[in-house]
Amino acid sequence: MKAPFYVEVLTRSGEVRHRQRVDALPIRIGQGYDNDYILDDPHTSAHHVVIDRNEAGGLDVLDLGSRNGVVHKGKRSERLTIDGNTVFRLGHTNLRVRSADFSVADEMRDTTFHRWEGWPPALAGLVLLALLSLETTWLTDTDKTETVRYVTAMVGMLVAGLVWSGGWTLANRIFAGQTRFGRHLFIAASGMVVIEVVSLLLSLAGYAFSLETLTRFGGPVMIAITAGMVFFHLVTISPNNGRRYAIISVLLMLLGSALTLTFNYQNRGMLAEEPYMSELFAPSLHLTADHPIDEFLAEAGKLKAGIDEERSRVLSDEGESEDDEFD
Amino acid sequence: MRFKLFLALTLFCANASAAEPAEDKVELPIPSSSAQRLYSKAKADIVQLRSLLKNGRTQSSVGSGFLIGNSNLAVTNYHVMSQIALEPDIYVGEYVDTYGKRGTVELLAVDVLHDLAVVRIDRKGGGFFNVPDKLPTLVQGQYLYSLGNPLDLGFAISEGAYNGIISRSFYDQLMFTGPINAGMSGGPSVTVDGQVAGVNVSKRLDGELVSFLVPVRYVRDLLKKVAAQKEVPKDFKLVVGKQLQEHQATMMARLEKTPLTFKELKPYRVPVWESDQVRCWGRANGKQSKSYSYDQVSCAMESALYVSNQTQTGHISIEHKLLQSIDLGDLRFAALASRSFQNQSMGGHKDTRYTAPQCTEQFVTNGKLPMRAVLCVRAYRKFPELYDFTLLTASTDSGRMSLQTRVDTSGVTYENGLRLARIFLEQASREVQP
Repeated sequence: MKAPFYVEVLTRSGEVRHRQRVDALPIRIGQGYDNDYILDDPHTSAHHVVIDRNEAGGLDVLDLGSRNGVVHKGKRSERLTIDGNTVFRLGHTNLRVRSADFSVADEMRDTTFHRWEGWPPALAGLVLLALLSLETTWLTDTDKTETVRYVTAMVGMLVAGLVWSGGWTLANRIFAGQTRFGRHLFIAASGMVVIEVVSLLLSLAGYAFSLETLTRFGGPVMIAITAGMVFFHLVTISPNNGRRYAIISVLLMLLGSALTLTFNYQNRGMLAEEPYMSELFAPSLHLTADHPIDEFLAEAGKLKAGIDEERSRVLSDEGESEDDEFD
Repeated sequence: MRFKLFLALTLFCANASAAEPAEDKVELPIPSSSAQRLYSKAKADIVQLRSLLKNGRTQSSVGSGFLIGNSNLAVTNYHVMSQIALEPDIYVGEYVDTYGKRGTVELLAVDVLHDLAVVRIDRKGGGFFNVPDKLPTLVQGQYLYSLGNPLDLGFAISEGAYNGIISRSFYDQLMFTGPINAGMSGGPSVTVDGQVAGVNVSKRLDGELVSFLVPVRYVRDLLKKVAAQKEVPKDFKLVVGKQLQEHQATMMARLEKTPLTFKELKPYRVPVWESDQVRCWGRANGKQSKSYSYDQVSCAMESALYVSNQTQTGHISIEHKLLQSIDLGDLRFAALASRSFQNQSMGGHKDTRYTAPQCTEQFVTNGKLPMRAVLCVRAYRKFPELYDFTLLTASTDSGRMSLQTRVDTSGVTYENGLRLARIFLEQASREVQP
């Protein structure tokens, strides 16, 4: 333990809010102005603790008879031995003390692409959103081309993108002190483009390989992509918490998917979004064999058992006097 | 669908109260017109029939009926009595005669196919209405007088002309060019000398004075059945279910006897049935500003069987539509065709009348045309072995054309439903380009 020492006030999530140098031991801490470190916390006493070297050469925090005491990991103690990583609480204040010889972590590899900040990603995001709106309008435009429809769609898309990324920018400003608006706009636009591309690919694959399931469960896939977007927004706010954010995003995805599936089940009586695949493409994209009519009708014949079973089940479960709607 | 334009003449949940009998102080002249003569003779034997909610005894639907001879049997429409037939736990019948006397109604027999019912009430008829074995022959243009209680306002007689037997509906009906209103359902239509010609049943909402009567010969048949009947059926649902089975068998037989007509939706040839009962209508977008063209042929049976106020069945409708690109590329045309093929309603899963629809889908070919085919089926909960089928197909032979077909068949057996689906799957074809 080598002087000088640093008393650090931490936020609940462990970030340093305030740091003060103290040149020598013992360090007196409390509300009073005769302390080495003054606490602005009404839940601490005038002379709350004193920190001094113990016999083993480490540091001890000694309670000076305060009402609220010294709390470490939820336990109150009269004397607490600390090192550079021990966070203890006095009243409402979380504290840590480090000496000059505290060994810090290795320098992290900087993965942030610093040139991709500000205007370049913002412009790229705007261009992506504009292109996306043009593409979706063009795809469904069956009347004679009217510029106003494309412009309206584009404005709508841009506003939506700006509002979404604006929200993240605000969060970024609050939690990390910088805005990074361009980054957020680019993430939002890329996410929307990915959603569009993936849904087109799902439709194509469903049609090409007769994999109807792909088109029926588009909802959870879109939610997964949105969760991915949220992950990138979070990492942009705070690059060092990747793992935690990945977990949050996965949880969000699971929750969102569960909600959509429940919604489908309640409203449609099935987990899928539609009772059949409605996608149609050009014949060259249809890669599986056509079945003979007999086979199709044989498949249809197999439905009977299930339908009859449902009929008998509902009748016996709920009785028959449920038909009570009037028009 | 065209058949929705028919109004079954039962009055539901009427909120108008019955009209007060007018107290006329002025001495009336001696009846002179035929209508006056008829009404004064017939009024003792016409009744209003109501179906009441057991709970609270409020009326849920009202219609009319008439007593046969001196018996205590009254004839009405099935649809006036349908709630009592299908849900005897919830509904109960009541009659009110022209003197204001009320009493109970007991359902004896129903004929869903012709929309007739026979009930027993606790008073006897005066002998005015008779249904003899030998029935009167009607001549087109002949006056008929229709009796009943329109809109629950009071008993009334209206005059119109008989205009022949129409074959648009599945079973023969008489066309009556005269005013019939809701609430007159089940009332009699008689000739000037008081012979029963038919039973008021429905009118066209899109026309003026186009009304329909059930021919009296079906009344005669049903009364004979009642006379031969040893005991009243306990569960009319079974009776109705059996009659619906009969109807679907007749319908299938008749459809299969009718040769298929092929309509050209160039370059495709599509099968339809076109007959007196199944009418076809065409439609096209024809809008110059569009980048695709749209042609449609829809055929539907003109009538459906009334089962309850929410269920009509024994019906088939066929819709073929052809989308063709004018200047849309493959991808945009695919998006258009997909949208058109999407969101076709198959019925919900919370319906208390039907089970949730279940579907099967495949890419199929009949050797002439490759298609994407979807077949969805649901069962009737109240009636055994009756199903609704929806067949959807979309041609998959071209990236710039899409022939999409929807065939709805309601109230058929599983086997018949599949047979009908097979016809449409097998008969669609594309002509060889000239």
